Amino acid sequence: MAEPSGVPGNPADSDTPLDALLKQVADGDHAAFEAVYDQMAGPVYGLIRKVLRDSAQSEEVAQEVLLEVWRSASRFDPARGSAAAWVLTIAHRRAVDRVRSSAAAAERESRFAAERGAPAADEVAESVAALLDAEQVRRCLDGLTKLQRESITLAYYRGYTYPQVAALLQVALGTVKARMRDGLTRLRDCLGVTW
Amino acid sequence: MRFLRRRRPHALIGPYVLDALETAERDRFERHLDRCRDCETEARSLTATATALGIAVAADPPPRLKRAVLAAVDALSSAQAENAAIAALMTASDARTTSVATSAGGTATVVSSLREAAIVFTSSGMRALPATEVYELWFIGHGGARPAGLVPPPGDGSTSPVLAAGLEPGDKVGVTVEPAGGTTAPTTTPVVVMTLA
Repeated sequence: MAEPSGVPGNPADSDTPLDALLKQVADGDHAAFEAVYDQMAGPVYGLIRKVLRDSAQSEEVAQEVLLEVWRSASRFDPARGSAAAWVLTIAHRRAVDRVRSSAAAAERESRFAAERGAPAADEVAESVAALLDAEQVRRCLDGLTKLQRESITLAYYRGYTYPQVAALLQVALGTVKARMRDGLTRLRDCLGVTW
Repeated sequence: MRFLRRRRPHALIGPYVLDALETAERDRFERHLDRCRDCETEARSLTATATALGIAVAADPPPRLKRAVLAAVDALSSAQAENAAIAALMTASDARTTSVATSAGGTATVVSSLREAAIVFTSSGMRALPATEVYELWFIGHGGARPAGLVPPPGDGSTSPVLAAGLEPGDKVGVTVEPAGGTTAPTTTPVVVMTLA
């Protein structure tokens, strides 16, 4: 398999250091864990806050996620994807679980109506380190059809299930499934993701 | 129908990668992934794409998050290390258990292993001490008493297992009441002195 290099949005210079760090973390290495924290806390916290839209809850969930990274680092398998993808998958699932179980979930549909059509200004990354990546991701998102883009961002950045996305966009379930898949494929090709 | 059953899992790859499936559906899709090499390759590259979406919204967390996470990891790992050491001692091939009644009430129990050169001390029913005092453990050998650590305050009448390293052949184990923080030599008469089995 091709070395996962030049992947946009990677917080490290290459994937190898983070992979190696996780191996050390699995052996109980505290310094390695701190290095993992320094590389991944920004993406983890930023993504969780994006989904939860609440700083206090986001801190809580980010802490749970980072402790899970410490506890389950031995389960990271480089053959199944990059270390950054492994960490962010944990973060995204926790954030989505939280947002779906929170009492506020019921109110989200009504809020959505007001949010819809607003400019994507809040999609902008706030961390300086992420600016370059954010720019490229935004450019590639702009290259999608509106339906592809909304299907992907409602699911990934808001934590909606695909039937909820279908209802919000008033399209068929099958359409949403297909737009998520072909939208992600187009995004992948635009970003030059190679693994 | 067979056609639909076979096609349907794969069509969920987009929602799967975006975590837009309910838990049951996600579990079903993951079982499908295990059997489908092409899907796994596609899932991997699309997951990497979703990762880029995540990194694009990175934001600096407040500095207190780092302090909290590192402190939690420290606590977690010292507890893990202590538990692992206790488990190793309890299962050592030469582990011996000794229980003796104490003059402070209740029973003191020591599991000792010369191979591990350590003991695990627990107790039940020993009287609670004021905050200004503590039960201190001692290894008592030919050269006198060597400090072996403090007993955690009893909760529900019993004390949680504490590991003390530095056991030497012929040592007895003693417990005294000392000022909070402990001392380097016993200042009171032991509430119990245990000859190890």
